[in-house]
Amino acid sequence: MSFIGNEEQIRFLQDRFKYIYGILFIGIGVLLSRMFFLQMINGDQMRQYSEENRIKRVKIPAPRGMIFDREGKLLIDNRPAFFVNITPQYLKESGKPKEVIEQLSRVIKTPVEEIERKLQKVKGQASFMPVLIKDNLNRDEVAALETWKINMPGVQVEMGISRMNIAKDVGSNLYGYIGKISTTELPGLNQLLASNSSRKYQLDDSVGKSGLEKQFEEYLRGVDGSELVEVDAIGRSIQIAKNKGRVLAQNQEEPSVPGKNLILSIDQDLQNAAMKGFGATQGGLIAIDPRNGEVLAMVSRPSFDPADLSRGADADIWAKLISDENHPLRDKTIQDHFSPGSTFKTITAIAALEEGVITKDTTFNCTGSISVGNRAFHCWQKHGHGNVNVVSALTHSCDVFFYRVAQKLKSVDDIAKYAMHLGLGRKTGIEVGREVPGLIPTEAWKQQRFNAPWSSGETLSVAIGQGYDLTTTIQLANAYASLVNGGTLYKPTVVKTIQNEDSKVIKETIPQILDRTNLKKETVELVTEGLWGVVNAPGGTANWLHTPGLEFAGKTGTVQLFTQKADKLYLKCTNMPYKQRHHGVFVGYAPIKNPSIVVAVFAEHACSGSHGAAPVAKEVIETYLKKYYPDVYNDKAIAEAKKKPGAVFQSSGGD
Amino acid sequence: MSYTSMETNLDQQFDPNRMTTYEEEFKWLKWVPLILEILLLTWGMINLSSATAVEDKSAGLWKTQMITIGIGTVGTLILMFPHYSFLSRLAYLIYMGNLGLLLAVLAVGRSSLGAKRWIGFGGFSLQPSELMKLSMVIFLAKFFENKNTTNGLKFKDLIMPTIFVLIPLALIIVQPDLGTAMILMLVYGSILLFLRISPKLLVLITIAAAVALPVVYNYGLKPYQRQRITTFIDPMSDPKGAGYNSIQSMIAVGSGQLVGKGWKKGTQAHLNFLPEHHTDFIFSVFSEEWGFAWCSILLLLYMLFIMSGLSVAYRSNDKFATVLAFGITSIFFWHIFVNMGMVMGMLPIVGVPLPFMSYGGSALLTSMSGVAILVNIANKKYMF
Repeated sequence: MSFIGNEEQIRFLQDRFKYIYGILFIGIGVLLSRMFFLQMINGDQMRQYSEENRIKRVKIPAPRGMIFDREGKLLIDNRPAFFVNITPQYLKESGKPKEVIEQLSRVIKTPVEEIERKLQKVKGQASFMPVLIKDNLNRDEVAALETWKINMPGVQVEMGISRMNIAKDVGSNLYGYIGKISTTELPGLNQLLASNSSRKYQLDDSVGKSGLEKQFEEYLRGVDGSELVEVDAIGRSIQIAKNKGRVLAQNQEEPSVPGKNLILSIDQDLQNAAMKGFGATQGGLIAIDPRNGEVLAMVSRPSFDPADLSRGADADIWAKLISDENHPLRDKTIQDHFSPGSTFKTITAIAALEEGVITKDTTFNCTGSISVGNRAFHCWQKHGHGNVNVVSALTHSCDVFFYRVAQKLKSVDDIAKYAMHLGLGRKTGIEVGREVPGLIPTEAWKQQRFNAPWSSGETLSVAIGQGYDLTTTIQLANAYASLVNGGTLYKPTVVKTIQNEDSKVIKETIPQILDRTNLKKETVELVTEGLWGVVNAPGGTANWLHTPGLEFAGKTGTVQLFTQKADKLYLKCTNMPYKQRHHGVFVGYAPIKNPSIVVAVFAEHACSGSHGAAPVAKEVIETYLKKYYPDVYNDKAIAEAKKKPGAVFQSSGGD
Repeated sequence: MSYTSMETNLDQQFDPNRMTTYEEEFKWLKWVPLILEILLLTWGMINLSSATAVEDKSAGLWKTQMITIGIGTVGTLILMFPHYSFLSRLAYLIYMGNLGLLLAVLAVGRSSLGAKRWIGFGGFSLQPSELMKLSMVIFLAKFFENKNTTNGLKFKDLIMPTIFVLIPLALIIVQPDLGTAMILMLVYGSILLFLRISPKLLVLITIAAAVALPVVYNYGLKPYQRQRITTFIDPMSDPKGAGYNSIQSMIAVGSGQLVGKGWKKGTQAHLNFLPEHHTDFIFSVFSEEWGFAWCSILLLLYMLFIMSGLSVAYRSNDKFATVLAFGITSIFFWHIFVNMGMVMGMLPIVGVPLPFMSYGGSALLTSMSGVAILVNIANKKYMF
């Protein structure tokens, strides 16, 4: 044992402890004396200093980065917002808290009880900390408060910054909103920022809570500056200290650094066209450039105005937004998934042609339904379509044709393979966050999920987009984009560049390829011919929208929310309760040759794709063509095209 | 060696019977460092919850501190039970590992307020310079375990250990983290003085330091570091600038008077007059809100804590453990002395946290590990 060898040394060391204790007692004695000197002898004076402490460093908030569209049009801006505080201690010292609250209540038109409730809620916190009473004061309220300030001790009007969507609620789901940091969020946010602590968040800071505001927080947020301000003993600012002519610190004012600006690929004209197209209809629209994945329009209805939420929303507005059963806070282009309905037939057609189970000459006779086992599978056209090939099946959206295709395919996995390569059933990775993946069923999936084998009848449902499959609007747009560009699947992107205040580009988005499907030339030709017919051929399901000279192609889809018995199947949708009505889906593209825009529309409970969704897409496509191809698509050319014989067909539209 | 040779060396003071009764009577003493740690941590958390109720970057951080205490408790249990001799076996490895972490800070560290002191692990960040205090003490205890120092250390004896101290010290100075570097120097000096330096060498070192000091002051320090010293000597030379922190801190302490302003009622802290009020200046928050009466009780607790650590060192019968326990205790002592001295305007402002009171994960984990090792040593003495 070491004791034995070291014993002499240990005893020697033990002997030294008397010095050590000596040093310890001297050290503690010094500290105690200093404490006594400061607190007991100089205490009165120090207490007085602390009460007179007047110079306080306060924050100059940095303006947040702005958001622009692809042409430099301002989308999201900062604007000053006024709010009113009460400092409880000063209110109490005024000796007439009741009168002050009553007067404030009259000026800001808020019930006395509500003000008292807000004061009550913060009972635990130090009484010299201001309590927020009302946000987003209007001009009249600010003026009135300034006038009556003298009579209302403890009440202060302060200014903050709120976010404004120039177009009110257009695109707000994409841009997102900012809000005050909560105590629970703060440590997490700062943990991520350990690398740059001059940017640490403080409790009254705002932070992006959703959409681009959240995803691009690190760029949009600036660096706050600070200045020294003379305050009274309860922290109310009197004036900027430097104006008093005092000699202050060399770094008395640190200027703020504004946040970076985002330049989006979004075109505000298309956003507005989408809004016009939707009208009162609800749902989501996304437009993608198939040549590089840039998102040209992204709109979700209903939406919200971010200005209402910027500085700690009014409880009533919040309650309304959250409890609204139409989900205004949800981005329906990426957060809602649904059965793709007939828009999925395009994928089934691709799978069948690529796998060689049908050719361009394969025809099936549609009699209105087929039976599999003892179950009947109906076509949406009760009386059938007669003999159809793949092109006319797409044009007329014939269900029976695709039932038969499904029967010929080896398994549902053949469809799933192409669906997945075209980006369905997985997140596209768009930089907005909160995206849902959707679902493309396979045999293995069903075995794992339900512990049951795949039944062949289910392949029939999948083939017409009414099975287990779930897709989002953005996935549909991207899948069609991949089809029309020959099989390249791009990652959709919204932010083109990030620039600093003097327009220097800091970061640029480069198109990213997610997947490549080597589609046969003939497959693409046949499928796109079918999609052309949907809008432009007699009897096409969206033919009623055909405008000569403004050609576009696409596919309609109508999503039944419930499996319905045959007698209810053909019931008029508009007679059903709103929440049970079918969803309408439409995915379209233009121009026919070398397409440069793909538009997918999800029209919630709009009954049909042809009447609910396609007109919205048309509005956007028309605006796009006229704006970007003015030589080809102008009013003169359209008028001439209309004169050509047989240019206008009549059709009521279908599935 | 045989038992008989040991017996011949024993003098009357080491009568085995007397030893046993003494030890049995004061059995509870072994747990004193841990008990005091729990007391100080509890009080520290009560104070931290006030200090982090300020509307700034510190808001809500006491929750993070609670998580660190949880991790530290697990660490304490792990460090307390195996025989401490594993620290002796692993001493050089621990030292090298910590050196590696310090190098990693240079390479991939996170910077904050112009200093690069942290390495990130997912959401957590670690400050290896804090851990180095403990690693260095373990290293030195091992290094001197088999060296006889009764006649005083000569110059050549100091060459090797000084090199091993200077390597991490240099890495810490470039971060820069002058507070930690200073603590390392103070602890190293304390251990050397404890082991005994030959009188001749001591005189020589004193002269060398006196000569080097002005040189270092003029050429070795950055302007802002020099300024801290000037303002320390005369804070009123620039009351709203460089001397601001020091003055505001003294006002906070003094304005606490006898019984303080009350918990969460300190205006200096809550109106943001105090810089870094949740970390290095935590004691100014405490003294403002609790006053002299409680401050002196806190100081008494710290003194008892240091004494309990010294008693572990004193009663150990293993030189490695004696030096280790002494070294750990000296880390605590210097932290307390330098931090409080700085907060009360007696020492220049350097970043040194107050053990168990300041917010900071790495420092807290180092402190809790230190206590665990002390308790381990106290309890293992008679287990063989």
